[in-house]
Formats: sequence, structure tokens, C-alpha cells
Amino acid sequence: MEFTLLWAALTGVVFAWIGTKIWSEGLPDHPADRMIGAAAGGLLIGRLTEMFLQGINPITNPLDILIVRGGVHTGMASLGAVTAYLWSAKWNLRYLDATAPAALFGLAGWHAGCVWRGACLGTESAHPWAWAQDGSAITRHPVELYAALGFVIAAFVVAKLSSALLVRTGTALALAGLIRLATEPMRPSITGGPVGWYMGAIVVGLVIAAVGARLIEQRIPQPT
Amino acid sequence: MMRLRSLFLALAVTLAACGGAAADTGTSARPDLPETSADEFEAHLATIDRPAVVNVWASWCLPCRAEAPLLNTAFDEYGGQIEFIGVDVTDNQADAKDFLDEFGLDFDHFFDRDREVPNFYAGIGTPITFFFGPGGELISTHNGVLDDRTLALNIDELLSLDQ
Repeated sequence: MEFTLLWAALTGVVFAWIGTKIWSEGLPDHPADRMIGAAAGGLLIGRLTEMFLQGINPITNPLDILIVRGGVHTGMASLGAVTAYLWSAKWNLRYLDATAPAALFGLAGWHAGCVWRGACLGTESAHPWAWAQDGSAITRHPVELYAALGFVIAAFVVAKLSSALLVRTGTALALAGLIRLATEPMRPSITGGPVGWYMGAIVVGLVIAAVGARLIEQRIPQPT
Repeated sequence: MMRLRSLFLALAVTLAACGGAAADTGTSARPDLPETSADEFEAHLATIDRPAVVNVWASWCLPCRAEAPLLNTAFDEYGGQIEFIGVDVTDNQADAKDFLDEFGLDFDHFFDRDREVPNFYAGIGTPITFFFGPGGELISTHNGVLDDRTLALNIDELLSLDQ
């Protein structure tokens, strides 16, 4: 059962790799390797954060770090992944812009990977494309596939944007938050989900795209 | 490089200091968990006239620690509509009680030394969560660690059954 998570992650990796082939302009060398490394770094940060929140000490329970199904803090994982990617790209923000469409495409793959996990379904729905769990008569929204479709569209939209510094990065962040926020009401949840993080991503993304880029554009070196 | 090493050292010390202290083994004042067999457990479920979430756990099981807070939250929210039951497997009473002291899980628990209950319902590994309809009809089984979505979705299915 835990292995189904790996299949979903692998689907995300394959989609991200395809994304780097579709939108290759301006990428650093070995972009897929860097993205996988960044995702692993983000996963580690997200898992450690979640363990802290659950009161589990990662030093006394080191194997627990590997049990990602025990919970990964989405917000901190995202921040960790972006930081790890920037570190790997020597803090050149232009690389973030170039990678944004492929990253969104990778997220589409991660969400589409729900098919391997049997975890696509959300709240009840009578739409003709809704389906039911095994042994159930209740049809439900395939909410993770909605999100996957949203991320695919977002990737193509972001790739068409201006190449001005951080415009694509900021817009991608805002769209990622928006897609998750828009689909969240269709996800059954006991804890309510990380809605605050999604809203934060939208605001921060828009600010980065609209203002931050203009302020620091002159100071950032171009990639060679 | 030295700065990076110092940073890691500081992080390690902080992590060690922040960890919640586990209860000492065998210090719990709780009464022993009632022992059960598969037949007894099935008979018990048959007497419950509302849906039930049965979580199979063990004190030595790391993923069980991870999902315990979620089960607590679910019990707080749905405990009035759904019966929550824990089944502690291949464990000893002292460690089991320490585990419950540490994580709360303030619902009924049974002690199943030989894993009869999960074997009877064809569960694999630990943890496992079984979702039963009223009267003990098995609706679905989740092998492995629970996440928020999976638990919420299956509880939603159980509540729909009950209507």
C-alpha cells in the first residue's frame, strides 16, 4: 500500500521530465535531476515539520522520517523544495522562471498519480463523470484529476507569460495555490486541509509576480 | 563549511531537546486491555448498532504513532455517530498502556496477542483500519497508515450508510 505513493511520485517525476522537454528554454543543466533533488529535499523538510507537529522526535524515531504516509506538511515541503532547487541552481532566480511550467506539469503528474493510489475521489457528486469506490453506490468527484487538469492548463498558461524576472515563478505559485484552494472543498477532510497555505501561496505569488520582480530585476545576473 | 557544520550541530541539539518524552515503560496506571479472540470480537461488533472504525495498532509500530493524532481528531469529531475501537496486536500490556497514555486515543481498546482479529478480516500488516457498517458488516479495509483524506472519505461512506 505504501508503494502506491511511490508510483504517484514516479508519475510526478515523469511528468516533470516531460515538462523539461516541452519547455527547455533557459533551464539549468540536468534540470530533471535538480527537480527530483529539490522534491526530495522538500519532502524531507515537510516530513520533519509534520513530525514536530505530531510530537514525534525524529532523532529518537529516525525510521519514522521514511514513513511519508504518516504526513508531510505541504507548505513547508513546498518552501523546502523551492529553496533546495534555488540552492542547486546557485540562487539564480531566472532558473525558477524557466522551471515553473515543468514544475506545474510535475504537480499535474503527482495529482494524476492518485489513480495508482486509489485516492482520486472526493465529495459526493451526481455528475456523469463521477465514480464510486469499490463496493459503494455513492459516486464522487474525481477531485485529484480535476487538480491534475488544472495544473496542466496552468503549465501552458505560465509558459506563455512574459519572461520578465519572477513573473512566471510568481504566477505559477499563485496558480498552484488557486488550484489547490479551488479543489479543496471537494476533498473530504477531518482537519480542514492546509487552506491558509494555499491562500498564502496565492497572495505571495501575486506579489512576487507584480512587485518583487520589478524591485530586484536589476540586481540579478543573467545565466551564462 | 564550519558554519554549516555548526548549523547542523545546533539543529541536532534542538531536535533532541524538542522531542516529546515518551512515557517510561510499564508505569501506566490504566487497567489491562481486555483480551479478545476473533470470534469474540465479531460477536462484539454484531451488538453495535452504528458504524464502527476499528484501528489495529501496536506500541512498537512507528506508523501507528503517526496516525494516532488523526484518530484522536476523528474521534473528537465523529465519536458521537461512529464507534471507534482499537485492537492492539502482537504486543504486551505494559507497552500498550504506555502507548495509550502517550497518545490518548480515548476509546475502547482490545488486546489481541496473536493477531486473530486482523487475520480474520484479512488485513495485512500494521496498522490497519477496518470500516464496519452497523451490526459488524465489513465495508472497507485500509492497510497501512491512515491519512486525513482516506479516513474522512471512509467515515463519509459510513455515515451515508447510516442514513
